[in-house]
Amino acid sequence: MRRNRPNVLQYTALVMMAVLFAAPLVWMVLTSLKPETQITAAPHRVLPDEWRWDNYGEVFDSTPYVRYFRNSVLLCAGSVLGTLLSCSLVAYAFARLRWPGRDFLFGVMIATMLLPWQVTMIPRFLLLRELGLYNSLGALILPTFLGDAVFIFLLRQFYRSIPEQLAEAARLDGCGEWGVWRRIMLPLSAPALATVALFQFIAAWNDFGGPLLYLSDPEKFPLAYALEQYVSSYSSQIHLLLAASVMFTVPIVVLFFFTQKTFLRGIALGGVKG
Amino acid sequence: MNTHTKYKHEALASGLVSAASTRWRFVLGLVTNRFCFVVLFIVTALLIAQYDPDSTAVAPPDRQEVVFWHFWGGRDRVVVEDVVRRFNDSQQEHFVRAIAMPGNNLDLKFFLSVAGGDPPDLLNQDDPVLADWAHRGLLMPLDEVADKATAEQIESWLFPPARRLGTYDGRLYGLCNGLDIRALYYDQTLLEEHELEPPETWEALNRINRVVSPPEQETIKQFGFLPDPRRLWAWGIVFGGQFYDETTGTVTADEVPVVGAMDWMRSFSKTYGADRVAAFRSGDQSLTGSASPLLQGRYAVVMDGQWRVREIVAAQDKARSSGNPVRQYGVAPLPSPPGGRENAGWVNGNFFVVPKGSRNPAGALAFMKFWSGFDGHEAEAAVTCAAGGWIPVSPHVVKQPSFERYLRGNPLFAKFVELAGSPNQVPWPVTPGATYFQREITRTCEDAMYRDDAPPSEVMLREAATRIRARLKERVAP
Amino acid sequence: MPRRKTVTALLFVSPWLVGLATLVLYPFAASLYWSFCRYDMVSDPQWIGTANYERLGDELLHGGQFAQALRNTCYYAGLSVPLSIVLGISLALMLSWKVRGQAIFRTLFFLPSVVPVVATAVLWTWLLDPTDGMVNHLLSAVGLPGGGWFNSHREVLSATDWSATISSLQSGRHALLPLGSKDALVLMSLWGVGNFMVIYLASIGDIPSQLYEAAELDGAGPLRRLRHVTLPMLSPVIFFNLVMGLIQAVQAFTQIYLVSDGQGGPAGSTMVLSLHLFLTAFKELDMGYASAMAWVLFVFVLLVTVALFRTSRHWVHYQGAAR
Repeated sequence: MRRNRPNVLQYTALVMMAVLFAAPLVWMVLTSLKPETQITAAPHRVLPDEWRWDNYGEVFDSTPYVRYFRNSVLLCAGSVLGTLLSCSLVAYAFARLRWPGRDFLFGVMIATMLLPWQVTMIPRFLLLRELGLYNSLGALILPTFLGDAVFIFLLRQFYRSIPEQLAEAARLDGCGEWGVWRRIMLPLSAPALATVALFQFIAAWNDFGGPLLYLSDPEKFPLAYALEQYVSSYSSQIHLLLAASVMFTVPIVVLFFFTQKTFLRGIALGGVKG
Repeated sequence: MNTHTKYKHEALASGLVSAASTRWRFVLGLVTNRFCFVVLFIVTALLIAQYDPDSTAVAPPDRQEVVFWHFWGGRDRVVVEDVVRRFNDSQQEHFVRAIAMPGNNLDLKFFLSVAGGDPPDLLNQDDPVLADWAHRGLLMPLDEVADKATAEQIESWLFPPARRLGTYDGRLYGLCNGLDIRALYYDQTLLEEHELEPPETWEALNRINRVVSPPEQETIKQFGFLPDPRRLWAWGIVFGGQFYDETTGTVTADEVPVVGAMDWMRSFSKTYGADRVAAFRSGDQSLTGSASPLLQGRYAVVMDGQWRVREIVAAQDKARSSGNPVRQYGVAPLPSPPGGRENAGWVNGNFFVVPKGSRNPAGALAFMKFWSGFDGHEAEAAVTCAAGGWIPVSPHVVKQPSFERYLRGNPLFAKFVELAGSPNQVPWPVTPGATYFQREITRTCEDAMYRDDAPPSEVMLREAATRIRARLKERVAP
Repeated sequence: MPRRKTVTALLFVSPWLVGLATLVLYPFAASLYWSFCRYDMVSDPQWIGTANYERLGDELLHGGQFAQALRNTCYYAGLSVPLSIVLGISLALMLSWKVRGQAIFRTLFFLPSVVPVVATAVLWTWLLDPTDGMVNHLLSAVGLPGGGWFNSHREVLSATDWSATISSLQSGRHALLPLGSKDALVLMSLWGVGNFMVIYLASIGDIPSQLYEAAELDGAGPLRRLRHVTLPMLSPVIFFNLVMGLIQAVQAFTQIYLVSDGQGGPAGSTMVLSLHLFLTAFKELDMGYASAMAWVLFVFVLLVTVALFRTSRHWVHYQGAAR
């Protein structure tokens, strides 16, 4: 960590590992462009014999991809909104407000992170059914408005690092707690909020168990679930499966590239030595 | 749901990290993040505002909808949609909307939909869940969907196995719409090369391995025949046993003939080594291997269902058109050892069920009749079955001229249809807890065949039967 | 004014409180109650006392499905969590070397963890196909037999599986390496180690360079510095990842469901607790038994976490106050 001249061994090791990690993705994209006959043929050739962009067209034709995409976007947008709203409110209460039982309940919240989801899955289902939310995206979005322990924890840490003087000054000016939260805390915690939004977006995009339990109308399926159904339908046509998978992955990868800084900085939220 | 935990936990870690150190950059961070957010929001808003989904066929306003769930995907789905279209075109009252739920979890989704309060109007299923659902009052028996007289007519109209599949507690709950029957496919060309007889007798079947894949051989690329542990359900019947006595409601999975069947299946593992058998079997199930292992040349004889006939014919056509030698294949019913049953086996099938909360049982009934052929639709059903390569559920459909023509053109398929009339074709037990029953027996046989150190068959089956009896007792309790 | 402050505070916390009551406490209590009942969600629960727990105990003792599920879960967690820690730290260390193009490498290592689970499952099922997959092709290119992967119930940690393979190879028969379905799952999870790696990377960056300087002055080489400076300073994060990684591995559901097509095969080798529980509840319609299993799972996780916390005193080194 102290040497500045590039070490050939180090470089080789890094390149080897990078190849190992990147190869499956590259392979996925390449195979998705191969004609069906080439996939099982031997000897194995890396590059497609012919670049069948048609495969993607076939996926589009055989399944209402755009509908599923729209459902995913709706689901993600709703989840992100719900999460940001609820977690920032609750985190502020834990971080800066004084009220009886605060520390005890904070401990309880930490403990709930240990709870396996299987313990609560059946009662949750029944509860959401009573609310009439079976077979609707609402069943997946509503719970996000009730906060999430991990994100609350993260935001609380961040709030605690914001100097109290700013809030004091606002209070002196006549702001209520609501005003403090809205005018001081929210803007200043933008990096943390961005992180939470990003992680929640990806989690909602990925969510499979939720639609598995709660959705039975194909009009409402998000991409993650629709892709699984697609795989079951066309299980022997690898080129189509991989093309569909690539189409499912690309939006997230694009998002990742645009928000890399947020992503990685968010993870090292305290700031990395530099 | 639990994908949350993956990202949650790194978010949490960053919280800890920030707690540990208090440095944070803020102006630069603010600017880039805000920009990203704004961009994302605009894109999302545009997407949602602009996109107007064109849903699949919506019922015309003058018709009543029948929401029909099924699990067919890929090419089969095209056939299904064709049947649906023909039905919708043939009358003005009902409109069937077919929804495909491929994969193994249709029964799960159905159950959730009933629990969730929004079941479909008609469902197609092939898992042994009929009894469980009927027992819990989730299904409408056919004598309620139609009436008692019609239900009785249907019962006598069906082939015996089709009737057995759908009957629970003396009432018909499911209307079979296609039977799946299994027999032995053999590579006639290969057998002739080895001067072997087709596996139509017990001796012939057992001799094949000795010639095609002698155990002393170091590397075996092709086996004569290997039994599949899941098919103990078939071989137990062939050996003269039964797994469940419906009249008394007792589990008889550990009776002597069944033990004999399992011993015979294990003899293959013992001859070749459980390891080798397991490894060779693993090679069968590759993702791309939708073609039968028989066609791929891995076996000389394979037990499989009637749907493989199409593949064989397609492969033969392909060989013929590209000028390659055409291999001949044959079909033989499962041969039986002395004391066993002829034309026996395990039968399964697809059956329609009408959920209790169905909004349009009349429409569901009309569609069921149309598909299966009952009540004057025999000719239509013959067309459907010929198109889908399905075995009709009634001798009346088989007798239709169009179907007889189809059979003459497909002699291999005809052999399967002959078996449909045999009383020795037995389905999985129709009892609550059947899923558990089925899983346990299969698991027991898998353990027996793939592990060298498994206990004697008698012991394994007795223990399995005990467990199954305990479970069934719980399930049938009021 | 203190009362008004409390009310305001409670208003702020209310979303989470509602969530706590409805999505945590009620389900907790309900599932506990149901674990003593026979319940199928469509009719009323019937009290049957400890029968469900007795059945769990029975299956555990006699090698029933529950025992198999527990064993599979322990195998998967026991293999994937330590390996991901080792791999994560190794990659993070490699990334903290001063070479050019660091950002590119970091992105490449992190990218796989961003790929959605469903796509990952499809991709790896294909990559690990015994006859057509790339991995087996590469293995045979270096002269090794391939693995059965998702089609095999073998286990790489099983001595009997290895001895069977070796004896097959010795007698010249064709054999596959005992790399089975669970090992394939572990491999798949390791591909997504980028998550963990980035956390380690951030923490490594936080280690004060004075410590390294001091160590160098004392004559410590790179390996020594690793053992006596880097790892102890990383120990809080390692501990944290250990706990969270275990919880994640025990609850893992989606990818296992996808690769085994919801069946837990082949031959029950990927039937982990979360899948077994799910199938028992929704395929076998036995909510009572499933609830009992969920509770046993919860207690198990709790005990393991507590045990880990206890042992952490011996090897986790906190620098200053943690919170």
